[in-house]
Amino acid sequence: MSTATHDSEHDHAHDDGAVHAHISPVIFMIGIFAALIFLTVVTVAISYVDLGSANTFVAMLVATMKASLVAAFFMHLRYDHPFNAIIFVLSFLFLGLLMIFSVEDINSRGAIDRANGVQVLERTGARAPGGLPESSLTPPPGHAAGGHAPAAGHAPAGEHH
Amino acid sequence: MSTASDTHEGEQGHGHGHDPFLAHHFDTPAQQFDTAKLGMWVFICTEILMFGGLFVAYGILRNNSPEMVHAAHTHLNRIQGATNTVVLLFSSLTAALAVRSAQVGDRKAVNRWLGITIACAAIFFVVKFFEYSAKFQHGLLPGRYFTGHLHNDPTSMHLPLTFEAHRFFSLYFMMTGLHGIHVLIGMGVLAWAMRENMRGRVTPGHFTAVEIGALYWHLVDLVWIYLFPLLYLVG
Repeated sequence: MSTATHDSEHDHAHDDGAVHAHISPVIFMIGIFAALIFLTVVTVAISYVDLGSANTFVAMLVATMKASLVAAFFMHLRYDHPFNAIIFVLSFLFLGLLMIFSVEDINSRGAIDRANGVQVLERTGARAPGGLPESSLTPPPGHAAGGHAPAAGHAPAGEHH
Repeated sequence: MSTASDTHEGEQGHGHGHDPFLAHHFDTPAQQFDTAKLGMWVFICTEILMFGGLFVAYGILRNNSPEMVHAAHTHLNRIQGATNTVVLLFSSLTAALAVRSAQVGDRKAVNRWLGITIACAAIFFVVKFFEYSAKFQHGLLPGRYFTGHLHNDPTSMHLPLTFEAHRFFSLYFMMTGLHGIHVLIGMGVLAWAMRENMRGRVTPGHFTAVEIGALYWHLVDLVWIYLFPLLYLVG
């Protein structure tokens, strides 16, 4: 913020420096509350209908509508300095970044191949480059007992690097 | 937040006496108010990122084990979750009305609305108590304390669980527990705003305490708006 000098008070000809916040009518706030309750009923009702993967999308859409109402009118972002709204929205953008890269990482990462440490993409069975030569592979100890090594089932594709 | 307690020095330092609540390092009450709000919004941003980590963990858990999460979420009580949603939404309304009353200078109304908001927080905890008790009773606990898979009842509407479901309940208790801590802190913040109001330090030109307290309370509501459908409804 600007450094404190008394002259700066006179720079704002129409601004007396007092707090002038927007005052919403009570009836308007009750209307927002009614809208929030209505959206809550909608989201609970829709959750009983099986829409497949669209259920999550609809639930998030309704939740975001509710959050927007609360932020815009109960938290006064609608009437506030835009900078506060920018901070608020930015936090969701960064959260989206965290979400996108985490999920992308999980989806594109294979399990560790217990046999040779090479990463295997489980969905396609593809072998990542690297690891030990195929000739040195030995079944891991206790391999027959455990059903916990899906990667061990993939036949080596014969790629040497 | 500390500006309110610094006002006495500020009054003397400024030397004009036109606003007893204006701290000496601010030009105008409006600047002081906007600064406090800016700080609160930055804090809200950090809160969103903190809860965001848990939401990402939830997304990954669902992504990895959709069947387990679906089965586990049927063990949560939708009625209790929806009740707490309504309670929190209503308390958000009363918090906003408390700010409005402060803006128009109705001191008694500020106390009344803040009191109702705090009472709603208490109701939230009563519902939460019954909810958590039922989870404890059925062994739906985090990590190695989980025994829910031993209590599967084929006649119930709940889907049977495997031990893997302990991961869902770890996240459930982590998310609702962290949110519950925020409700508790919110009660404290609102009680502080109420005390400021009772001491006559809330006026139409200086209602920072009520405004900031209400912003924190709305944040608690915002988090629940996302927690409720994700945990209770769509699992």
